[in-house]
This record gives sequence, C-alpha cells and structure tokens, in this order.
Amino acid sequence: MVFNSLTFIAFFAIVLAIHSLPLAWTIRKVNLLVASYLFYSAWNPPFVILLWISTVVDWYAAQGLVKAQRPAARRAWMLLSVVANLGMLGYFKYGGFLLANFTALLASAGVSYHAPAPDIVLPVGISFYTFATMSYTLDVYLRRALPARNFLDYALFVTFFPHLVAGPIMRPTELVPQFEQPRRANRQQLFFGLALMTIGMFNKVVLADGFLARAAEAVYDSDKIPGALDAWMGTLAFSGQIFCDFAGYSTIAIGVAMCLGFAMPDNFRFPYAAVGFSDFWRRWHITLSSWLRDYLYIPLGGNRHGPRRTYAALMATMLLGGLWHGANWTFVAWGGLHGIYLSTERWLRKRFAGFRPNVWSVLAFGLITYALVNVTWVFFRAKTFARAWTVLRGMAGGNAKAVPLLNTESLVVVAVITSGLVVTHWLMRNRTLESVLARAPAAVLSCTWAVMAFAIIATQGNGNAFIYFQF
Amino acid sequence: MSAEARIALRPGLRLTAADRPGVAQPVPERDIPDRKWGAIMLAALVMLLLMLGAWEWHWRSYGVAPETADSDALWATQRRRIDNGEGTNATVLIGSSRMLFDLQLPVWQKLSGQRPIQLALEGTSPMFALEDLADDPNFRNSRLLVGVAPELFFSGFAARRGVLKYFRKQSPSQRVGQWLSMHFVEPYLAFDDSDFALPTVLARQDWWPARPGLHQRAPVRKLKVVAEEDRASHIWDKLEKDPQYRALAQGIWAQHLAPQPDDPTPAQLRKIVDEQITRAAAAVAKLRKRNVEVIFVRPPSAEKYLAFEDKVFPRARTWDVLLAKTGAPGVHFQDHPELQGFWLPEWSHLAARDAVRFTQALYAIIERDIEHHAPAAK
Repeated sequence: MVFNSLTFIAFFAIVLAIHSLPLAWTIRKVNLLVASYLFYSAWNPPFVILLWISTVVDWYAAQGLVKAQRPAARRAWMLLSVVANLGMLGYFKYGGFLLANFTALLASAGVSYHAPAPDIVLPVGISFYTFATMSYTLDVYLRRALPARNFLDYALFVTFFPHLVAGPIMRPTELVPQFEQPRRANRQQLFFGLALMTIGMFNKVVLADGFLARAAEAVYDSDKIPGALDAWMGTLAFSGQIFCDFAGYSTIAIGVAMCLGFAMPDNFRFPYAAVGFSDFWRRWHITLSSWLRDYLYIPLGGNRHGPRRTYAALMATMLLGGLWHGANWTFVAWGGLHGIYLSTERWLRKRFAGFRPNVWSVLAFGLITYALVNVTWVFFRAKTFARAWTVLRGMAGGNAKAVPLLNTESLVVVAVITSGLVVTHWLMRNRTLESVLARAPAAVLSCTWAVMAFAIIATQGNGNAFIYFQF
Repeated sequence: MSAEARIALRPGLRLTAADRPGVAQPVPERDIPDRKWGAIMLAALVMLLLMLGAWEWHWRSYGVAPETADSDALWATQRRRIDNGEGTNATVLIGSSRMLFDLQLPVWQKLSGQRPIQLALEGTSPMFALEDLADDPNFRNSRLLVGVAPELFFSGFAARRGVLKYFRKQSPSQRVGQWLSMHFVEPYLAFDDSDFALPTVLARQDWWPARPGLHQRAPVRKLKVVAEEDRASHIWDKLEKDPQYRALAQGIWAQHLAPQPDDPTPAQLRKIVDEQITRAAAAVAKLRKRNVEVIFVRPPSAEKYLAFEDKVFPRARTWDVLLAKTGAPGVHFQDHPELQGFWLPEWSHLAARDAVRFTQALYAIIERDIEHHAPAAK
C-alpha cells in the first residue's frame, strides 16, 4: 500500500496501537513482521513469495559464510546470494528489456526473430529489498559485520515496512541492532514523527502530484514540440517533482519509523544546493549512492589503482546505477551523463588543485551543477530518446516549429515552487531540518503544520504511486 | 569519514552513509528538536479543523453536498458484479455521460423489476467497455444498452479509458481504500470532489492571463451528482437553479465545440468513424453469440451541441451506418416524439425531472418497438 492512502492511515493506526501495547518484545516484533508482509501483499499477494526467497537465501548464505573456512567456500556462499538476488531482479526487472535488445540485435544482423511478449509484472520495490538483503551477505563476506543473532530480527530488517519498497536502503548494521532491544516511541518521538510524516506527505501530495506533475506531463507526454520556455519549465517541474516525490517518501518513512521508536538514516540533504556532482551524490539518494560506492565502486578498484581504473570504475558504477533505475537505455544515458560529470569534475579538481573559489564562484558552480543535473533529468523523464532530444533541443532554443504547451498558471506555479525549492536548499545547505525547527517560534511551527495538513487534504491526492516504486 | 567530509560538516549536521565509505554503517541517530511537540500539534490540529470547517462551509454554500465519488474504484465495484455472478440475465448500461445522467436506475427498476448495472463514463466512448464485455464469457443472456454521444462514440475519445486497466489491476489495498472512503469520508465531506481539489480550483481562476498562441480548452466543470453507491446519477441541480453556473457550463461546451488547430481533417475523421463502427460491429457479433441483446440509444442533445453533432457527425454517416453494420436495433431521440421536448440546461444532459420522463419513455419504446431475443428482455 502507498503511504498517501486511507488504507495506510488505517493500517498504521492499528500497527501503532498494537506496538504500544504492553506485550513481550518478541510478540511486538512479530506484529511488525506480519504487518510488513501485509503492507507488501496489499499490492499483489503472490509477490510476498519473492520476498521470502530473498530473505531465506541470504539468511542461509550468511550462516554458510560464517561457518566456511576456505576462501573459495566463502566466495561460493557470497556468489550464491548475489546470483539469487540479481537473478530474481534480472528476470523480473530486465527480462523484457533483455529480450527486446536481443531481438533488435538479431534484426540488425538480418535475423528475423519474434519472441512472444514476456508479460512480466515488476514486483514493487524489488530493487530496494534486493539491495538491502545483498548488503547483509556482502557485509558478512567483507567481514564488516556479523550475521544477525536470530532469524526474526533479520527477517524484520529485510521486511520492515517503512523502508521496504522505496528505501532508504538500510544496511543490516543500521537496523538489526535496533531490533535487539525493546523499542517504543516516547511522546516527543511520536509527535515529531507525525510532523515528519506531514512534511513528507505535503511534498508528495501537494507539490509533486498536485502542482508539478501536470507541467512535466504536458511537456514530456505530448507529441508537440516545445520551445525553450516550455522545455525548461517542463524539466524544472520534473526536477522538483522527483525530488518532492522521493524525498517526501523518505521523510514519511523516517517519520513512520520514528513513531514506532526506530531511527532511519537521511536519504537526502538538500541536493539542489550541491556544488559539483560529487557533492550532489552526497546529497541525493544517499543510501543508494553509498551502496553503489561500497559494493560496486570500491570493489571495482575505486581510486586505488590509478586514474584510468578510477575513471572506468566511476563510469561503470554510474552506468549500472542508471540501469538500476529502470530497464531502458534512457536510464543508462542518465547514469552515463552523471558518470561523465563526475569524471570531468575529478579531472578539473586535479588540474586546478590550487583553485580556491570565493562566494560568488561557489554560487555560480552551484547553479551550473543544478542546470546540468536538470539536463540529466531529461533522459530520466523522457520515455524515448527521440522525445529526450526534442526536449533538449527545445532547452537549447533549437526547435524551429515549437508551440506553446504550458499555460500561464503552470508557468507561474512551476517558477514559484522551483524558486522556493532551490532557495530553501541553499538556505538549508549546511543545516538540518531539526536544527531549524529547534529555533523556530512555536506559533510558526503550529501554523505551518496546520497549513500543510490542510493543503494535503484539500489537494485530494488520489493515491498516486511514488515514482520510485517503479524502480 | 574522509578529511574533506570532516571539514565540510558543521556542528549540528548529521553524518550520513555518504561520509563513511567502505565501512559498516552504524545505527542512525536522529535528534528530536527540544520543543513542546504535544502543544504544537494540538494547536495545529485546532487550526486544521477550523480551516477544514471553513473550506467545507464554502463549498456547501456553493451548493455542494456530500456524495459518493465516481472514482475508478467505484466503477470497478460495478464492473466486478458481472464477474461475480450478475452477468447473466442482466441489464447493463454503457455509454458516456448522457447515459449516466439521463437514464435513471430507480425508474428503470420500478418499470422492469430489475436494477441495471451502470458502467457508462463521462467524456468517454463506450467502445472499450463494449469490447471488454464482448470478450467476457461471464456476460451472457443479457441486455446491453449502449449510449451513443456522437462526438465521443464516433471519435473514440475516451477520457477515462484507464478505468479498465485499473479494474484489472486493482490491488487489495485500493479495494480497502475504496471501502474506507465510501464509509468514512464521502458521506461527510462535500469538498471531497475532484472539481474542488486545491490545484484544480487554483488553475481555473480568472486572474491567469491567456498565453498567446496556446489553444487550450477549459476543463469541464462538475455536472453530475452520484445519488447512490451503484452509480445512479443525475445532473447537478446547480445547473438548473443557477443561471450563472449554467452559462459557465454552456460557455465551456461552446469552447469545446469550436474548431481547433489539431482537429482531424474530414478525411481523417471519416476514417476514424469507420474504424469505430467496424469495432462496434465485431463486438456486437461476439455478444450476439452469447445471446446478449445489444440496443443502441441516442439520448437527446440540444442547441449548439446538437448543431455541432449534426454538422460534424451527421446521422446518415454515423448512426444509420452503425445500425446497418451491426444489425442491432437502436432508439434515436429524434425518431420518437416522446423523447423530445425536454429541458437540457447545458445542451447535453437532461434536467433531473426530465431524466425520469426520458427513462420511462425509453423503457416503453424498447419494450414496445424492439423485437427481443435475449431472455432478460422477455
């Protein structure tokens, strides 16, 4: 079920009530586990089996890793986990994509091959829980962590519903220890958790779905040709939409976990105030970028084997990171662009190592970073390369037969929200939300909370799925 | 943590996984701002209730009352009835808004003893529903009334085409949400209607200047009221009572009926019309094999709307061809004096009182003039 639904409100109220009862900790953990399976099966009950497979395989793989003495045996257990997880991910997420590319490859060689449509349904959140369970085995393999002491704690780590379908991607060492001791939120945690849920919901329901999605759809889902204004505003709208959608989800997830007495890590740190792309990736989808760094970039050599190997590792990581987002070459292009940006930045930093930017330079670099990030969003949002090129050409002012696509209201709404978002990110660049809330007048907090809650209800979101569910 | 990260972090900032490469990530620590969150929340709750009360009062003053939302989920509840055993000896209605507003389920039930299943959708050609039912073996030995609004039926335009995909893929969570909404939200809140959603209300304000070169039609405003949970609907009485709102609705139709730069050429339109008729004929043939009696119904329209339909979708090239190609009977309002002389406040839908008369007259015509084959019609 999605967070922004009546079903979730009812579900969460029941889960919270049971979690607050004076029951044994094991029983309360079982409550959370059952609730998490219900949460997942509310989409499509049979897919719970995949979750179980992933859970059981990694549990036994980690047990095997601990018992294995020889490096080859340890490697075999690790590979079992990797192959099982990536195999499932590959089949469900990339099966159709691989078949389509195989068919296209044969066609380019003059072989006519028509495969039957695979008709594979993507299980929601498979990319997220696959990465979470893999990090469990990989941490044990890399001797960074010990396996969980009991199966219940481990199964709850994989399945815990706040992070299950769209992150933050949790590591076992972040969550399993939290299940070892009884936890229940105190009043402060409960109320602040509800406040975080309201902020996240406001981002998702009001800003992303209510006000920004329409402008992005009008530009990207149209077959008409946009001019510079429409192409930029459509892209800025998507840029804001995807942030509000995904950061909104993460904030709700953190708030939900907090109401239950658990802590989850930050997933975003005001990314549109990033100066440079390495800074951007330290602020955007932090739990994915750090996962890719720890389990892909570093094992590929990282920066330990000279510049060539570093650049190759960087590009490979970002290309695969792009593919993780979706089975389409446009996502690969998105990842590739980020890889190029990161590589270029790395080269420039070495080339101009003595350069110390002043305030204005920092601001200029920040705006350049934001503009270039927006260019990558074109490939992320466009369903085809043809549309991506049309929008990019529009952004460069090169569409001769452009027609207006967005009305004045859309243009103003996108401009206001985008400006507000970017200014907020810059003001918050070196702060946390908590540090600001600690100093704000109580009346302002109450009013803001009430206005956000009112806007959420008055916007009447229709339970739109979060964008990242499809990944 | 890298040296770079250590320098970049200021006091009060939390470390994240981005700051700790290649190590096991520790249990996250989240600080709670030291505030009186209980009091802050209570004050917010009071303000929220006041704002919601004002918002509700505003829409009730405008003439809105709480009603069942005609969502995709509600349509799915009715479509599911066919799969759940009610698809035999049934009367099913498909079509566009005219079939939805004009044909009154309680009146039909009183006359025939049977409550029809209402599957018509506003702004949507019934072709997708016709084809869906034609492919559904659960639907047999029944009667199917297909509403024909020429502009939609013969163009194939379907604003709510996605409803079928929704029905097929509806998750357990969505079904529970629908139940909760119908029992705990819709009966109490008048503003819970997509026409009064905050972004929609903001977008239609007069203060936005028109953008030169942009041809955009104003979205259709609220026209109907869903009276019962089985989608029994009628026109919103504001259209009958409020001349200003009626003029607004007429103005929006006038905008929609005016030629647009991206309209198809006459040749393209002819091709589209032929395609719709061919698809309808194929679906009717399938339904006939399962002893489903298909009857096409052309409900009334008036003034500028009727003039537009007569001009762009002339009867001789659309309705008459449809009946000839499908071999199905049809009831056209212009062929029956008892289906004329009604009041259509905004030219497209009958006033509520006239919808009752229309339903009575239509039922009588079908029973009297049409040769019946399906058991349901006997």
